[in-house]
Amino acid sequence: MSDYKAVVIGGSAGSFSLMLKMLAGIKSDFKLPIILCMHRLKHVRSGIAESMQIKSKLPIIEPMDKQRIEPGAVYLAPANYHMFIELDGTVSLSTEEMNFFCRPSIDYTLSSCAAAYREKLVGIILTGANADGAKGLKDIADKKGYTIVQDPATAEVDTMPKSALAVMTPNEVLKPEGIIAFLNNL
Amino acid sequence: MEFKAFLDEFKNQTGFDFCDYSDESLNRRLIKIQKETSLDYEGILSRVAVDEKFKQKIVEDITVNTTELFRDPDVWVGLYKKLYCSIPRNVTTAFWHIGCSIGLEVYSNLILLNELNMLDSVRVMATDLNSSVLETAKAGVYVYNKQFEDNFNKVFMELGKNVRFDKYFDRDKDTLKVKPFLTAVPKFKQQNLVSEDAPFPFKTDFVFLRNVMIYFNNKLQVKIMKMVYDKMYDGAYLILGKQERLPLNMSGRFEAIANLYRKNALNL
Ligand SMILES: C[S@@+](CC[C@H](N)C(=O)[O-])C[C@H]1O[C@@H](n2cnc3c(N)ncnc32)[C@H](O)[C@@H]1O
Repeated sequence: MSDYKAVVIGGSAGSFSLMLKMLAGIKSDFKLPIILCMHRLKHVRSGIAESMQIKSKLPIIEPMDKQRIEPGAVYLAPANYHMFIELDGTVSLSTEEMNFFCRPSIDYTLSSCAAAYREKLVGIILTGANADGAKGLKDIADKKGYTIVQDPATAEVDTMPKSALAVMTPNEVLKPEGIIAFLNNL
Repeated sequence: MEFKAFLDEFKNQTGFDFCDYSDESLNRRLIKIQKETSLDYEGILSRVAVDEKFKQKIVEDITVNTTELFRDPDVWVGLYKKLYCSIPRNVTTAFWHIGCSIGLEVYSNLILLNELNMLDSVRVMATDLNSSVLETAKAGVYVYNKQFEDNFNKVFMELGKNVRFDKYFDRDKDTLKVKPFLTAVPKFKQQNLVSEDAPFPFKTDFVFLRNVMIYFNNKLQVKIMKMVYDKMYDGAYLILGKQERLPLNMSGRFEAIANLYRKNALNL
């Protein structure tokens, strides 16, 4: 049984199809909560959770403010809100200013998870077109969480993984298949 | 100095109590403030003690004021279709916007009410912690933002009504001004929800409490909900933000209708 309490994943708008593939690959008895922060295209504000649900064996939830994070479900940051995980394992939402022109901000979600779960967290950065997420992944590494960056060679847009690699050294750099296998072995 | 110790000390010095705000988002606001002012917590406190303007600025920077005209258009369409069409005209209907920020939510609502020719039979109160956002709200002058006009058009398209943006707004380049017949209606008043009762003596029929309680922890949410509940008539409606629901333990007091909440009479 794994010692981890949660998995947090960040990726930008272009990571959507990759995200679908990963969700389809994750086994149905996956035990940890998966906290997901994805940038969204301005004009596509809804429908993402629905498309993900079609592929995913785990329930996809766009959490309400103060909702509790439970094992075996995927929590997707709602459109136009930053999503924070509090120390007590509940969600707090905020509409504060954008970070790297993005709301939700991947840094904000990752950093709050780092504080909430510390070394019991797996943090993953996927393909993406800006530097949001790099600082958050570094915060996870600083708290001794396990960090994974998608191999930039396999990323549709490699800015996000490369920005992460520029500020920290992750435990692993993996191809998408490797990330899925890692998660299924947790 | 730790984050919690700072909040206690800030409260003692200024009377502004942020101790029961959501830790994670509050913490990130304070980190940002420390960066922007190049002061640590001790430094902020000593300057707050002698500089009233600085104190106001810190309070403003801690709170989040982002808002839009017709934010979440579907909510407004639902209100208009499901509830507003059947509001009686022969009695006064009271509205309360809590955490109204710069007033765009208030004017969104007034636009719908005006489309129903109801401006003469409504009483509209709007409150916020920050006096500076209330000044903007009263003036009804904004920086133009295309999102506002898009939301406006979306609402009226879905209502099947042909209403032009310039019926309600005067635009001069980047400046957007709400027309005086709307700005004349609402009363904007300062209120700190954490420590003060509503700044008016009557009960209300519709309460907007959107994207305000997300900044509070569950304990403070429950306290505020009770205060708000007491200012609502039985059968009055509460409108929360799109990603909000009633705090734990409060659901028995309201009947949920989609994302609207109707006040139940308390069965004691
Ligand atoms: C994000 S805005 C919401 C504006 C609008 N209701 C909407 O949804 O677009 C939150 C507002 O709550 C106000 N606020 C925060 N703490 C408050 C308090 N203790 N008492 C009253 N208002 C408060 C802030 O000043 C801010 O204007």
